[in-house]
Amino acid sequence: MSGVPFKNPGWAGNTGEFDLTEAQVRGDDFVGERPRAGGHPSGASTYPYMLAEKHPDAKLFEGDYQTRFEKILTRYPNKQGALLPTLGLAQEVRGHVSPETMDEVAGLLGLSPAYVRGVATFYTMYNKRPVGRHLVQVCTNVSCNLCGGDEVMEAFVRYTDTEPGETSEDGEFTVIEAECLAGCGFPTCVQINSRYYENVTPADVPGIIEHLKAERAGSAG
Amino acid sequence: MAYPYVSDREVRLLSRSFGDPKGRRLDTYVERGGYQALTEAFGMGPDAVIDEVKASGLRGRGGAGFPAGVKWSFMPKEPTRPHYLLCNADESEPGTFKDRELIRWDPHQLIEGVLIAAYAVRAKQAYIYCRGEFFETTQVLAKALEDAYAGGYVGKDILGSGVDIDITVHLGGGAYICGEETALMNSLEGRRGQPRVKPPFPAAVGAFGMPTTVNNVETLSAVPHIVVNGGAWYRQWGTEKSTGTKLFCVSGHVNKPGNYELPLGFPLMDLIEDVCGGMKNGKALKAVIPGGSSVPILTAAECKGVNLDYESVQAAGSMLGCASVIIMDEDTHIVKQVRRMVDFYAHESCGQCTPCREGTAWLAKVLRRIEDGMGAEEDLDTLLGMSRQMTGTTICVLSDSAAAPVVSSIQKFKDEYLALIRRGERAGVA
Ligand SMILES: Cc1cc2nc3c(=O)[nH]c(=O)nc-3n(C[C@H](O)[C@H](O)[C@H](O)COP(=O)(O)O)c2cc1C
Ligand code: SF4
Ligand code: FES
Repeated sequence: MSGVPFKNPGWAGNTGEFDLTEAQVRGDDFVGERPRAGGHPSGASTYPYMLAEKHPDAKLFEGDYQTRFEKILTRYPNKQGALLPTLGLAQEVRGHVSPETMDEVAGLLGLSPAYVRGVATFYTMYNKRPVGRHLVQVCTNVSCNLCGGDEVMEAFVRYTDTEPGETSEDGEFTVIEAECLAGCGFPTCVQINSRYYENVTPADVPGIIEHLKAERAGSAG
Repeated sequence: MAYPYVSDREVRLLSRSFGDPKGRRLDTYVERGGYQALTEAFGMGPDAVIDEVKASGLRGRGGAGFPAGVKWSFMPKEPTRPHYLLCNADESEPGTFKDRELIRWDPHQLIEGVLIAAYAVRAKQAYIYCRGEFFETTQVLAKALEDAYAGGYVGKDILGSGVDIDITVHLGGGAYICGEETALMNSLEGRRGQPRVKPPFPAAVGAFGMPTTVNNVETLSAVPHIVVNGGAWYRQWGTEKSTGTKLFCVSGHVNKPGNYELPLGFPLMDLIEDVCGGMKNGKALKAVIPGGSSVPILTAAECKGVNLDYESVQAAGSMLGCASVIIMDEDTHIVKQVRRMVDFYAHESCGQCTPCREGTAWLAKVLRRIEDGMGAEEDLDTLLGMSRQMTGTTICVLSDSAAAPVVSSIQKFKDEYLALIRRGERAGVA
């Protein structure tokens, strides 16, 4: 895979004879642009929890997000059932789920704040504090570990110039160790925001980081 | 199309669209015979569908291997309350990576399986509970589901049959334990994902207090094939008790890791040497975990002659689990890998049973001590004693799963533990 690390990032099997594009592998070509208001309610809660742009002070919820929230509510027999998707939606907007956010979600669903805090803190994907624009989660569990997961983790920490769990000074990266991401045959598996990167070796890491930075420059410019 | 790797020994039923981007499309799926099984099921009636799935011998692919048709038959036949069908797509058992592939390459196959199962158990609402990390995967699923709604395959009066079934994709919040079926139901209800004491069983009191059936993605993806072709057809593959094909998730030190769909009962050594192209860098095999991190380790010697079906793997002293075959070569640091797996269980314990909460944390600590060369020989007895107390004493089997690799590795690779301990002792003396 070295040499062309970004020919097919995320390609599940960059080691085979495979000539699909990245969009075909990820399914982006099939999915297309998904409407922010949620599309059909059956899939309204499947949106990215992690976006690079975060708005910690945004209202819960307004505009398209309010529409999506209302669609989610229709899919459960009671409001409590919508708690996880609503926390996910709040994180998508704000980037993390602070105690205040938990309380607001409680208000929206008619639940007690203590209850929502108890539930939200049980789950690891709700960031309890702000994270960088890119949340890098490196699987170091057994299958990836056998193939060098620890070294990939070290490489991300080194090249982002940060400590595990801390956010780099420029606010770009937070790197954490993750448990199995269900990509064990394509080690090392790394999740960056909402995307999977597979077959990652330590040598690929600087390229991935440059790629992410370039993406930002592209989108900002 | 060479999806990362294919082998001519495969029987690609469920995996026929892996690596084929067209396979996600509704029109392609229908062209290839998709949604015929659904029409057929509606014609048969729910009980005949259950009988056909029973006849196929299909066993649950989420780990426990319980016969799917039998499970469905536990549901009340005359619904007086809403029923639910839950598809378990929480896939988080280390070594397992098949459900994500099934969803993202062939979402309609799963949707059709969910619809047929929901019909059989008289559920009007089904949830596909996906682990929260599956963002990209669930985008594909959501799009396919939207197309299926638009095509009249899901929702009210499906294909004019008068049957109503809604499907909702639900995302979890990142917790391995939510894959356990009662924890999954709690999590779906917006609670902490902690397993429930059984009984009551889900078919009596499940999600939202209603009769519920939980099945794995792979189990449900097999259902349309069985309904269209018949239970007897499915039995042409596999063994008497382990019928059909199974996706084998092979990871670790082989040349061609990946998902391979093979008949159950396939020889383990053929999987490694033939299908997966042998050991990486020509190294020797040291150990195999045949069913995901929760099952006992087999030594290379024990692997000889083992066939990959539920019974043979059990006879060899392990379990097939979800057929997540983790291959370790001669250079593998067994103690480190066991410690890494136990760290995982310590992290994922939901904390409601003392032997699990305390036990997983202690195992991890003692293993770390040994790995760091600070261990003593008595530590091995401590580990075994703790493991015993953690087995069969808790609400769910996560606790047992954490103990399994510890016990089996001490039994089978004691020398490696002792070498670390001795090296540490010598270093301490010097
Ligand atoms: C700790 C634990 C984790 C589990 N994780 C999963 C999982 O991620 N996916 C899954 O399908 N089953 C998982 N199971 C098994 C489920 O409890 C359940 O048996 C299964 O989903 C039933 O479906 P099946 O009969 O189709 O296999 C897990 C069980 C335990 C004890
Ligand atoms: S065994 Fe562990 S994970 Fe299972 S219910 Fe008890 S504490 Fe929770
Ligand atoms: S062990 Fe790394 S993705 Fe499963």
